Amino acid sequence: MSEDWRCSGCDSCKTECEAYSHVYVIMEHIDGKILPVSLEMLGEARRLFDDYNARYSSNEKVVAVILGNDIKDFSKELIEYGADIVVCADHPELKDLRNTIHTKVVSQIALDKEIASKIEPNYAKQFKKPRYIFFAADSIGRHLSSTVLVELESGLASDINKLVIKDLNVTHQIKTDGKATDFKKTLEMYRPDFSGFLWTTILCLNNTTPAIKREYYPQGCSIIPGVFEPIKPDPKRSGEIIFYEPKIEKNDLKVKVLSHKIIKSEVDFEIRKAVVSFGRGIKDAPDENIKLVTELAKQLDAEIGISLPISKKLLPASQSISSTYMIPARVIGTSGSKISPMLYVAVGISGAMQHIAGMQDSEFVVAINPDENSPIKNECDIFINGRMEDVIPLLVEELKKQQQVVQAG
Amino acid sequence: MEPLNLAVIVKLEPDFSEGNVSYKPDGTLNRNETKNTLGPHSGIAAKAAFYAKVKYDAKISVCSMGPPLAELALEQAQQTCDADVLHLYSDRIFAGADTLATAETLRTGITDKMEGKMDIVFSGHRASDGETGQTGPQTAWKLGFTFLGNVISYDVNLEKRTVVAKCLLTLNGVPNVVEEIEAPLPVFISIDPSYKSNYTTVSQRIAFEKYQKEAYERAKNYKQYLKVYNIDELGVDKTLVGLAGSPTIVYQVERIPKGKATRQAEVLDGSNPEHIRKAVAKMKEALSAMVIK
Repeated sequence: MSEDWRCSGCDSCKTECEAYSHVYVIMEHIDGKILPVSLEMLGEARRLFDDYNARYSSNEKVVAVILGNDIKDFSKELIEYGADIVVCADHPELKDLRNTIHTKVVSQIALDKEIASKIEPNYAKQFKKPRYIFFAADSIGRHLSSTVLVELESGLASDINKLVIKDLNVTHQIKTDGKATDFKKTLEMYRPDFSGFLWTTILCLNNTTPAIKREYYPQGCSIIPGVFEPIKPDPKRSGEIIFYEPKIEKNDLKVKVLSHKIIKSEVDFEIRKAVVSFGRGIKDAPDENIKLVTELAKQLDAEIGISLPISKKLLPASQSISSTYMIPARVIGTSGSKISPMLYVAVGISGAMQHIAGMQDSEFVVAINPDENSPIKNECDIFINGRMEDVIPLLVEELKKQQQVVQAG
Repeated sequence: MEPLNLAVIVKLEPDFSEGNVSYKPDGTLNRNETKNTLGPHSGIAAKAAFYAKVKYDAKISVCSMGPPLAELALEQAQQTCDADVLHLYSDRIFAGADTLATAETLRTGITDKMEGKMDIVFSGHRASDGETGQTGPQTAWKLGFTFLGNVISYDVNLEKRTVVAKCLLTLNGVPNVVEEIEAPLPVFISIDPSYKSNYTTVSQRIAFEKYQKEAYERAKNYKQYLKVYNIDELGVDKTLVGLAGSPTIVYQVERIPKGKATRQAEVLDGSNPEHIRKAVAKMKEALSAMVIK
């Protein structure tokens, strides 16, 4: 096979298509713990590839890639959670997270033919790059995915919450010169937009137009934490561990992590039985309405949460209210915390999917909303129809009254 | 000691603030009726650059890729950071670019069209209207600069030519972490939304006021500082920008299907005292229930 062979995504090739094979899933861990999102990504990769290998009669692998120092013990756990292969770069200089070094090592691993030959000897001769690569959409993975995909010269879709692999026929003015073109085994990457009401499907596609012909692999994405379920860990699952000796450039060691401090958040949803959250419904009088919410929360001994749009500080509120309540640490949803209190009260929250994902495991849900058509109605046990300005004072008064009854009794 | 040479990349975005934003009945953004503004995260990046102007007398250039309308973002950024130079990279061919192609355009502008070598380039944490924070790190990697993300504060050592930055890591399932990272210049800093500038000395506060006044005056005549480059003037490789240089495309946009009702809500009337009593009783009951999870 000539060196410049390129897969055109046509039907005729079978083994040739394996120039790009497998899904590489980039693991994250901190302070000796694998992050839950890593296992969630492995679970989704496992489900996708069990189906994929059956559909395409192939034997492509779910490859977990893990970088760090003294991390060999993680490998077994990753296999139990669905990895066929664990590529482990264990090195003292990988103890800290440094974007430059991590980007280079992940890229080295992605391009390494020797690793590829160990993963699956049958595809190794043609191997150029992974077919897909997954990262976590968090403070680590968002940036690492961005820089790795520049290094690998391919495309990235961020903050994904649904993945489908499909054979597609796409016509694109620039990429395919306006001609209908087959793209096999394409990863459809679904991203919810900022409002939480729209889904944008993003594809990473080769350019087939002759003047700009280019192959774009791996098809990369970052995955929102808390979206996918990990598989049930199976201690009997077998897999292979490949140790990789990273090449680290001296110059990159000039970047130093001077300190690493774990921060205790001022917001703690775990210790409270109840959470009262508010959303854009406060907009008519943000300061006054947030005060109402805090009164209700006080009566219920509840922590206060917010919906995502509130954290963007677009509503006019006083500095002290804004810096206490309109902060990312309070966001409930896929972009914030996933909680399951005994009581969840949603005040002026319409119920975008991304918010629902954060609160749907609550035991009992009360919504206060003047619009009976809001999606939150489908997610609550009691829907109190009314404006928060009118309803909350009545609730607070009633709660106080019942409190007195209890004390008197 | 050489003065610091800084660049900020900014973006024009829909203005999501109340009164300026317009939503369609189905809850999605009505782009035609919504005004545009400097993206809030871009604004924080400009603030962070201004900190270096006040503290280290840095020179600041601001650039953006966008339609001619994006001048507005540059004007607003200048008002925030007292920029000395404004660049707009604007060409129909750039339209539809994904983050990789956008990063190539910005890299070319920063490397080839800005005066001198950059010490620090700033970007916002993300855009509010879709792009999810990739453009910053991708531009950084193309520039070959050390990338520092989620930066909540920073200081520069002018003698050693290093930066020390505090970075906030927000991770699911574990407590947040703040790391202090030291890196030699040049660096690319992506600013966390919780970034704050601290002006601690009297001389800093005086400088702050002086430059703020200057910024206000400059922004009134921002066109004097503005250079607009089309694709030929920028001299960028045409196969690496716009749609031709974008690996990803938006394939389709659809409404997220409503999930099936997971609970059967009892609807209560918020103005009926009897209903309020019932709601409170139910809430109390929920809180006192023994739950075995």
